[in-house]
Amino acid sequence: MNDIPNGSTLEMPALHTAGLAAAEAAANAALRLSPHSVESLRALQGQVLALECTKPAITLYLEADGEGQLNLRGVYDGPVTTRVRGTAADFAELARSDDPAATLINGGLVLEGSSTALTSMQRVFSELDIDWEAPLVDGLGDVAGHQLATMLRGAVDWSRQAAGSLRRQLQEFAQEEARLAPPPLALESFYGDVQQLRERSDRLGQRVENLRLRLERLRDR
Amino acid sequence: MSDNDNTHFGYREVKTDEKAGLVAGVFDSVATRYDVMNDLMSAGIHRIWKRFTIELSGVRRGNRVLDIAGGTGDLAAKFAPMTGDEGEVVLADINANMLSVGRDRLMDRGVSGNLYYVQADAQYLPFPDDYFDCITIAFGLRNVTDKDLALRSMHRVLKPGGRLLVLEFSKPKNPLLSRAYDAYSFGVLPNIGRLVAGDSDSYQYLAESIRMHPDQDTLREMMENAGFLRCDYHNMTGGIVAVHRGFK
Repeated sequence: MNDIPNGSTLEMPALHTAGLAAAEAAANAALRLSPHSVESLRALQGQVLALECTKPAITLYLEADGEGQLNLRGVYDGPVTTRVRGTAADFAELARSDDPAATLINGGLVLEGSSTALTSMQRVFSELDIDWEAPLVDGLGDVAGHQLATMLRGAVDWSRQAAGSLRRQLQEFAQEEARLAPPPLALESFYGDVQQLRERSDRLGQRVENLRLRLERLRDR
Repeated sequence: MSDNDNTHFGYREVKTDEKAGLVAGVFDSVATRYDVMNDLMSAGIHRIWKRFTIELSGVRRGNRVLDIAGGTGDLAAKFAPMTGDEGEVVLADINANMLSVGRDRLMDRGVSGNLYYVQADAQYLPFPDDYFDCITIAFGLRNVTDKDLALRSMHRVLKPGGRLLVLEFSKPKNPLLSRAYDAYSFGVLPNIGRLVAGDSDSYQYLAESIRMHPDQDTLREMMENAGFLRCDYHNMTGGIVAVHRGFK
């Protein structure tokens, strides 16, 4: 008795809903500390994203409201702006990606509807710039809160720069020096070839099937 | 209901026309402590049950929603922003004290504009036919004297294509959980009620009324008999609570 519209099934609705409520509360707490992200999210009001994870099987619906808050739902039977299907690894790749459009084209995700809403939502979270100063000042007072926030900001900026620099250097080493990985352009071209091959083999399979059916019909006569 | 003249009030057999007064006595007694008690008794899980009910409601901007036995307005507060200025949410309760506590609470939280309060009996809803897009009744149906009459009344005021959601205590599926739940309901609940709300009898009634409420399949059948279509239910927390859904 647990069939729900849109083809998803909830085995343990209370647990599922509790998880979503916790994730929603965490996401909105982070958003409240990043005013720029709230503004960007407000612009997405009314757009509903359906994320269908096939492994593990979880479907969730994301919707931004007029206050710039994010609503997460496990059940939604209204019209969906964008539907994305894939494994957890595919979604993780998209979340980490610097170029979500390229990841959508080359990755394993299947997309229905507008990709703009998805890439905009991804950008909101990847560009999340949390301002720790307000909660720290509230908790510790003006002087200590400001000092700690400045230190935290410096540490976060430094670790971001260091991580970016390390990634660039590793990438360069892997592609240019050790030749362990192909350059992105070559990879994209390879993905394109694979895609073409997949389409051609599908078409060939279809033709063979048609020929088989024709042969069967001729044999029956 | 045992026969036309008698019904149950918890485990007691009472005259049908007495039940509404007895239920009113229970809710008059607990109205001001209702929210605290809900959080204490369910360890806050009632919020998750209600959240899932709202997800199933499919309510959108411009919809008309009726929340029967809405009490302190948990569901109505969520529906009001979902329906927007062009929509309408009616919080109905038979008990004036509960309605008054709910109205004060929602006004204090700034929920207003498209929200209306109506003191109404679920068995005789004072609304036009085919009026609401969605009707919810959370933890209220088991207190209604004639549940079949109430379900027919809800069916009448629901628009064709609209949906009814009944969130109510039900029967746990696992025998072990059922035993633990019984021990909690009859051993712990009345004591919490005595300590926090100063009233153990009302919480004894709560435990008894849950046991007397129809199980999942019986309630689904009652909804179908009242005219609802595509009726289904979702068990939550092992079947301690179930949300039933039916369409007109």
